[in-house]
Amino acid sequence: MNQEFKTSDEILQFAIGREQESVDLYTGLSETARNPEMKKVFAQFANEERGHKKRLQNIQSSGQFKFTPKEVQDIKVGDYLVDVEPHPGMSYQEALIVAMKKEKTAFKLYSNLAAKVSNQLLRSLFDSLAQEESRHKLRFELEYDEVVLKDN
Amino acid sequence: MSAPSWFPWLPVHLRSNDNFEEMSMKIKDIITPFSAWSNIVKKPVTVKDPFSERPGADRYRGFHKNDVEACIGCGSCEAVCENQAIDLVPVDGIETKKGDSGLRPLVDYGRCCWCALCVDICTTGSLTMSNEYTWISDDPEDFRFIPGVDKKPWDNSEKGWTNPGYSLYNPDRVEMEEIEPDARITSFIEIVKGYSKEQAEKEADRCVSCGICVASCPAHMDIPGYIKAIRDGDLEKGLQLLYDTNPLPEICGRVCTHRCEEVCSVGVKGDALAIRWLKRYIADNVPFEDYKRILGLDSLPEAKKHIAIIGAGPSGISAAYYLRTMGYRVTIFEAKEHPGGATMYGIPKYRLPMDMLEKEIGLLEEMGVQFQFNTMIGREVKFDELYAAYDAVFMGIGFEKPYLIAIEGEEGPGSIQAIDFLREVNEGKKPELGHHVAVIGGGNVAMDAARVSRRLGAEVTVLYRRRIVDMPSDPEEIEGCEQEGIHIEPQTIPTRIIKDKTGKVTGIEYLMAEMVDDPKGRRPKPVPIEGSENVLEVSTVIGAIGQEGYYDFLGTDWLEKLKIERGRVVTNEHRQTSIERLFAGGDSVNKTADAISAIADGHTAARGIDALLNKNN
Repeated sequence: MNQEFKTSDEILQFAIGREQESVDLYTGLSETARNPEMKKVFAQFANEERGHKKRLQNIQSSGQFKFTPKEVQDIKVGDYLVDVEPHPGMSYQEALIVAMKKEKTAFKLYSNLAAKVSNQLLRSLFDSLAQEESRHKLRFELEYDEVVLKDN
Repeated sequence: MSAPSWFPWLPVHLRSNDNFEEMSMKIKDIITPFSAWSNIVKKPVTVKDPFSERPGADRYRGFHKNDVEACIGCGSCEAVCENQAIDLVPVDGIETKKGDSGLRPLVDYGRCCWCALCVDICTTGSLTMSNEYTWISDDPEDFRFIPGVDKKPWDNSEKGWTNPGYSLYNPDRVEMEEIEPDARITSFIEIVKGYSKEQAEKEADRCVSCGICVASCPAHMDIPGYIKAIRDGDLEKGLQLLYDTNPLPEICGRVCTHRCEEVCSVGVKGDALAIRWLKRYIADNVPFEDYKRILGLDSLPEAKKHIAIIGAGPSGISAAYYLRTMGYRVTIFEAKEHPGGATMYGIPKYRLPMDMLEKEIGLLEEMGVQFQFNTMIGREVKFDELYAAYDAVFMGIGFEKPYLIAIEGEEGPGSIQAIDFLREVNEGKKPELGHHVAVIGGGNVAMDAARVSRRLGAEVTVLYRRRIVDMPSDPEEIEGCEQEGIHIEPQTIPTRIIKDKTGKVTGIEYLMAEMVDDPKGRRPKPVPIEGSENVLEVSTVIGAIGQEGYYDFLGTDWLEKLKIERGRVVTNEHRQTSIERLFAGGDSVNKTADAISAIADGHTAARGIDALLNKNN
């Protein structure tokens, strides 16, 4: 990621764009999924991403931003799983792997950006976004642990 | 004998000792009324004595005490009380939960004879008696109270009657004979030998008939009832009670997850009743040729309505049995060659011999249930056709699609799925495993795969992500693994299956894990420790992390209508799905993933179908 950010508004715009990409991805998967249950699962994922986007838009419009660093648990469930290429016949297990990996990529992106900027405000904003993505990742990892790894 | 010489004036006939005593009493009778006058200046006993300190002996049987936190409301005290002085009643703040009725004993001291049998039989030791025996109140209702809840002065008294060191029942289970581990691993012979008549009756004699087990059984079997039948030597009655709620007692008598035993009140201070083995004893000792007569199945009503059942597993067989007894015609469609579902194809023969299944399926056939094997819905018969042709459909299809470990190297030979492996072995095949097998998982399927691999001659290591205490497998399966030389490596997270240039599996890489608390308070989560890599040299990896449902056979239109959440079909309390005449049960509906839950689902659905079809009439 070579993009340079000068203002918090630019960062938020970028993050909102990424959330919209996620909304589009899951909406597309919901439309193409063969299994109606998986259609619902992806539609739910898309809705969650819409919620994340809305939250960022609220920060952008209000100009109000408060970041309280808080460690989010990383149980690393997805770290050693093989990548899944999205396809119409995806199972729930595969859908969760896609979601976990996606959130981890976003977390890494914002963490790297936070490390690169010198402006304290911008760093806080990146840290906040990274924290938010790690929270999303944990939500999918806990679901994977509960459903797929029930006997493991 | 003569009277004393100092009574020479007595007539001769009164001079014997007897006659003398008779005369003495008469003298006393004359004197006593005069001496009683002395009491006229004393205070009456009823006024003086309650205020006198006259403590009971240290072990005196006085008013009851109860440790309500330790009490489980099993009701043994109520049952043993000959005077019906004890009632189990609800108590504010104590909720009904697994192994606790939520009730507590209320004692009526107008009936209590202070015999202490209630204390002696108390399965938890919570009920005791203080040595306080006096208490004054004008209100008779004060003499009916809940010990431990209604606070009393003697609640903290250390003295009184307890039953440490003995009980009215034998706390030790009658040991079940098993094949020795060394002999086990050389064949698939059934491990458990079963109780003899004497052993079964002795074990049944330990039951206090509290019935707290009934609520924990998904099928709510009359456990105290059939155990009593064993005590009474009436196995026909026992069989009837089994079949009232469970038409697969031979199977459940062997492989049931026996949650009933986890809550057995006798197990609080001793060994839980061997409920599963007692069920097996009944099923094994009633001649099969007598089943129909005993169960009243000789002439069943024949209704016009016809029910289709998809899947001949435990839930489907259960639904078929009860629907047939209600007079419905029943046809079971089974994709495989034989009935039984997971019990037939998934459970190794050393736990469940095949002839047990054949016996129970044979009964269904004699009842007129039709089987169509090698018939897969969606392939040989469309679900549309089935739904149109039958009055109702029950779906008991199980969970047959395995979750993948989803790590590098899982694809290709040498890496197999446990349910495929177990099916092949039960079909008589002998898969090539090589010298060392790694089984991934900690459930019963993983334990089965490990123990079967051992019987096929391999060294076996089970890799499990969490601690042994977290393993969802039955503890006896874990114990069985250990006895048979299977090594369980807990807190290990596989990261890669290693292969040589030819694609042959040579090892599995894993990381050690540390356990961290779950943010939502569920079971602790294993987190891999970076840099803790290990490699285990193995020739085969068997994945056994779990299974999921597969519903594509229904077709898109029906799937749109069928409500499914997180891979499970959603049903109401009658096991009716979102499609009106489609009912479902077993693993595809409930999370417990055991035969007894599936059997209970089948029974519930049969009643639901009956109610629906009668309502539509």
